[in-house]
Amino acid sequence: MMDDRTLSLRVAAAPLVATGLRRLHLVAADGSRLPPAAPGAHITLTLPSPAGARPLRNSYTLVEADPERGYQLIVRRTDRSRGGSHHIHDRLQPGDTIEATVPHNLFALHSQARKHLLIAGGIGITPMLAFVAHLREARAAFELHQIASADEAGVFAALLAPHPGERIQVHAGRDACDIAALLAAQPLGTHVYTCGPGAMMDRIAAVAAELGWPASHVHREDFGAAGGEPFTARLARSGIDVAVAGDQTLLEAIEAAGIDTPSLCRGGACGVCILPLSEGDPEHRDHFLSEAERASGCHIMPCVSRSRSATLVLDI
Amino acid sequence: MTTGSFTSRPRYSPLTRFPSARAHLLVADHAGIAPHAFAETCSAADFPERWEVVAHARVLPQPLGGPGVHQFRSASHLLTLLGHRLNAETMGLRLYAVGSEPFVWDVARVGREAGMGREEMQLFAVGQPVRRVVCVHCRTINPEVTTTLVTCAGCGVTLSVRDHFSRMHNTWMGVQCDAEAPGELPEVEDLCA
Ligand code: FES
Repeated sequence: MMDDRTLSLRVAAAPLVATGLRRLHLVAADGSRLPPAAPGAHITLTLPSPAGARPLRNSYTLVEADPERGYQLIVRRTDRSRGGSHHIHDRLQPGDTIEATVPHNLFALHSQARKHLLIAGGIGITPMLAFVAHLREARAAFELHQIASADEAGVFAALLAPHPGERIQVHAGRDACDIAALLAAQPLGTHVYTCGPGAMMDRIAAVAAELGWPASHVHREDFGAAGGEPFTARLARSGIDVAVAGDQTLLEAIEAAGIDTPSLCRGGACGVCILPLSEGDPEHRDHFLSEAERASGCHIMPCVSRSRSATLVLDI
Repeated sequence: MTTGSFTSRPRYSPLTRFPSARAHLLVADHAGIAPHAFAETCSAADFPERWEVVAHARVLPQPLGGPGVHQFRSASHLLTLLGHRLNAETMGLRLYAVGSEPFVWDVARVGREAGMGREEMQLFAVGQPVRRVVCVHCRTINPEVTTTLVTCAGCGVTLSVRDHFSRMHNTWMGVQCDAEAPGELPEVEDLCA
């Protein structure tokens, strides 16, 4: 399942589109065609980490993917970031090359949907930009609700400007969008897609379930649902203890300790990173393990999940 | 003989209420649904809104339904109004169908056309097996076939009814059975045999 074909990409342009938001335009370093990608796909960039430690791998949604014109990403500079976004904002220059995975799609539009309801929070707008472009072209029924903090609403309204229309609404402030009323009004055959803060996506999923939406109609993208309390991961076979910082994922900590372990989406969806667990109280945050698998306590998805106990013992 | 090496005969489980739903609608092509159409834990009473076909229904049903039992004069009448109802519905509805196999798959089609997925519907076929058989030679649809051999109403060949059901088209496949040796026909059997 692990697909480690990598691409060598050249930064064609990296303009700042708003305070803290940078658009990256990437083309193939050797000028060849890039692999195509459906809306919702992402690539994982390999970025040097600040202290010369192991490189960071961050996933970003493709806002646009054209084999000829290249890939477009929008990267927010986050303060809690592990350095990846800082590197993109502060160091990366047009002409630089970076390594990336081929596009993967874990957040595809559902082809049978009669209507697509897109709800984004903050920078969660990125897959929605790709969706909107595609749905407009396909003349499919859709609605986009972008939730932004009051001082950022203008930024997102500007990003959505190429697609004006009554089907697109920017809500300033978290409470400006009545999720329950919105979901209750959707016709049969609607699929909802959410991307944004975990709490927002959890709330939408809960409201949808309460209104009787089947789970198969509720889709979410979550990158970066990472932080939490620090803990220690004991790698039983390697015989080492790894400190997992609050702003670091278990997977990153294991990688930083020099242990290579497969991963793909780094968002708790694909199942590639699964690791055997032998002790501890895991806090599962993935969408891969079933309830039964969680209950048996034998596995953990280190790309998103953490620990409630001070120590977690992994059988690696 | 209707069984080949390959069978796509649908299987039906008795109805249970979907646990999390905003509303439930049960439709049947007859009144007085047999108790065996329901799983042990439930009965018709668990479905407060029911649409039924009753040949001599005298009261016209509400076009968009609502709680209570609504009676329709024919299955096609019910299916037409079901289409209108589903187009006006919002997410969270579950649809249940009980009746002949062609009827329940007609209901599934109307549901699908309104955007409902398999996880939002339950079907339960009751009664003697009746099949809608499509002739693969002339595409004529022969309704209400109850035997393993049938003369195609379109091209007149004798069709053997294969155990191949198309969920999309709600038809069973009928193939000329004496193509190789004209006139040599196997024995006709009842589909319920
Ligand atoms: S890398 Fe995909 S679930 Fe962890």
